[in-house]
Amino acid sequence: MESESVSASASTSALDDEIENLQARVASLKKQLRVQTSTLIAAPSTRELLSGAPRAGKLLAQAAAQEAHNQQCLYRACASITTFRVQDPDPNAVDGGAVLGLRVEVVSRAKFLRPYYVLLNRPYPNASRHLRVHRHTVPPCIPLAGLAARHLPPPPAPGQDLARFARSLRRDIVRYHHRLGVVADLRKAAGLGREKKGTADDEGDEEEHERQTQALVGINPADAEAKQLSIEWADGRTGRLVMGDDGEILKFVAVGDNGRDRDAVRELLGGAAWVDEVVERLASSG
Amino acid sequence: MARISIPTSARLPSSLRVDASHPAVAKILGHLSRASLLSVALDWLDEKNLPLATPYLRRSSDQDGADDDEDDDLNPPARSPAELQRLYSRLQARKGSKRDVLDRIIEGDWRQGLSLYQLAMADLQYLHDHPTSQKWSAYRIVPLKTQSADLDQDDAQTAVDKESLTIPRFHPSTFLKALQAQVLPDVKAHYNFDRHKDLPLLLLRIFILDSPYSTSLGLANGSGQSTAGASFDTSRTVYIAFPDASPHIYISKPQTLGTAGFGVGGGGGGESKSLRNLIVEGIPKALSRPRQRVTLKSTNLSTRNLAEILDRRGAARTNCAGGGWSIYADEKAKDTPLDIVALPTPPLSDRGSDEENSNLPETQQRPHKKRDLSPASQGEEPAVKRAKVVAQARFADTARPDDGKGEKSGEDERGWRPNVRLTFHGPHVFAGVRQLVECGIIDGERMPGWMTGEEGVTVGAVRHGRIRGHKGSGV
Repeated sequence: MESESVSASASTSALDDEIENLQARVASLKKQLRVQTSTLIAAPSTRELLSGAPRAGKLLAQAAAQEAHNQQCLYRACASITTFRVQDPDPNAVDGGAVLGLRVEVVSRAKFLRPYYVLLNRPYPNASRHLRVHRHTVPPCIPLAGLAARHLPPPPAPGQDLARFARSLRRDIVRYHHRLGVVADLRKAAGLGREKKGTADDEGDEEEHERQTQALVGINPADAEAKQLSIEWADGRTGRLVMGDDGEILKFVAVGDNGRDRDAVRELLGGAAWVDEVVERLASSG
Repeated sequence: MARISIPTSARLPSSLRVDASHPAVAKILGHLSRASLLSVALDWLDEKNLPLATPYLRRSSDQDGADDDEDDDLNPPARSPAELQRLYSRLQARKGSKRDVLDRIIEGDWRQGLSLYQLAMADLQYLHDHPTSQKWSAYRIVPLKTQSADLDQDDAQTAVDKESLTIPRFHPSTFLKALQAQVLPDVKAHYNFDRHKDLPLLLLRIFILDSPYSTSLGLANGSGQSTAGASFDTSRTVYIAFPDASPHIYISKPQTLGTAGFGVGGGGGGESKSLRNLIVEGIPKALSRPRQRVTLKSTNLSTRNLAEILDRRGAARTNCAGGGWSIYADEKAKDTPLDIVALPTPPLSDRGSDEENSNLPETQQRPHKKRDLSPASQGEEPAVKRAKVVAQARFADTARPDDGKGEKSGEDERGWRPNVRLTFHGPHVFAGVRQLVECGIIDGERMPGWMTGEEGVTVGAVRHGRIRGHKGSGV
């Protein structure tokens, strides 16, 4: 009895595995099919073939859509700020629901992140050209409200500069992501976030012990904008590094048991003016 | 207990013990469940917390003699914290009544009193168990204009710097120090910071005691005189939550209903309100720094659900993109310009492609489908389908009854004509509106935008079909 049920469960699990494999294959084949279709339909030779063919209206429409999409992707990849139009679903929306969308592309770690969107409308009846931020997906650590107040002031003010607003907004977003990136690099260079190495062999070695107490055990952003880093050493010393908008080191203070520890600061920075240089130093010494 | 109590402006120390027979102890511990009570007790016995939660132990010297005295003790003291730890772990494993555990704590192991730290831990456990027990209001921290010289103090206080590009920063211990300086010496408070278990929040529990003394005498007054009993009211507990990486803070509202059962003095409610106001007024000053002043601005959002408030006033992209606009904030959706294979599919159009593929077997269609399509929807009327599509367009993936963002005891009133008045009332108003749209009771295409909850406010006046008084959606 028992062996039967065991073999039955084994066979069902084998079946499950097979089904899973087949489903994965179906998914990958479908993906391939989509890739081939989109490549083929956008090719100029296909277009030539289609243009003469009878009853190719649907295919032609699809080809046109694909081409438009390809063009949009090209613009997005190259220009990093693109605009688009949106219809506000709210029937009472101002200005007939016309909304202008700004799409800000961010590249981090060799990947395009989900873009940030700013959606603008024109709520002012008398000065219809003035824009206002309607909705946005910018995180609160980017001073969007301040930028909007500077570059897109409400009607009594004469001029709005959308281009400048978009540029400065993008600059702030990119700088924020660069700062996040440099913090991640710093952590990586200091060997944080990885498995701790075995320490049993070198326990008696004084030099090794020294190195262990000098090791960094924590590097974390301490504020929303990732401009301040709290740094912790294994022996209980703590430090605070303040960097500027572009990752330049503004201040760095370390505090140990006996008050300020200037040696620790000197050792970690070594005359570096940028956080990137600290990353290089850590990476080369580690 | 200290013999002399001197009024000072220091904060109440965490180690200060409250008499175990004090009604507040029984009240705070009493509303915890048995499991929570045991886990809190085990937390107290943890090595980190032990110095502030020392239990009553049998001294090693009176091993022989004192045993006789304690023979009739129902809860004989343990010899070591480790023994107690084992005991509570055993209690955790087996079933029993809450009363026994409570008695064991109050009359046995902590008969000498519970420290304020212990009470704070118990209260936080209650907050974790009952996440909707507090009503939170979200405030935005906005910078004020810096005055070059202190010419006009009043003007400097009121002018909000709209063009400021600085994001307010927050440092817990500095904040606490500054807040303490703002509190008057005749009010004592106990502060306790704790990370929220699941949400990216730092919780500060402020326990306000209406006494100038920072020793146990101030606490003892409460049990001795009936009038001073109110000083331990639960309404004196204010929670402040600091979301990570977001210039907002959430402040809990006092539970005015709860005061009736416990408070003895008639004016207790108003008084506690003023005490709370004192703290609340101190917060912007405590957050300010020299030459960098901030103030708190209400964001017209108050709810019992912390997850919802984090969604609307948190660190993510969803703050100003609610309702149907949330498709732009969805982090999971892939939208990279390098992917030229997938043609973009707006919420309304991708249904069309689904119907085109409807001759395929059902299992193959699955991955393409939106979540709202249940298997039963195959044979639905076109009108119902249409209503669901409209709901999807207006709400995207927000306002689902099961999204855990409920418990928003909101109330929307809609005056269309003087004699027509609709009131929506319930734990999750916008999910209800969505269901009404899906059922076709509300015409989703003509429904005003504020009914989708996309403004992210719980208070607002509607004029010309738009919510007024909250211009520019948080900007």
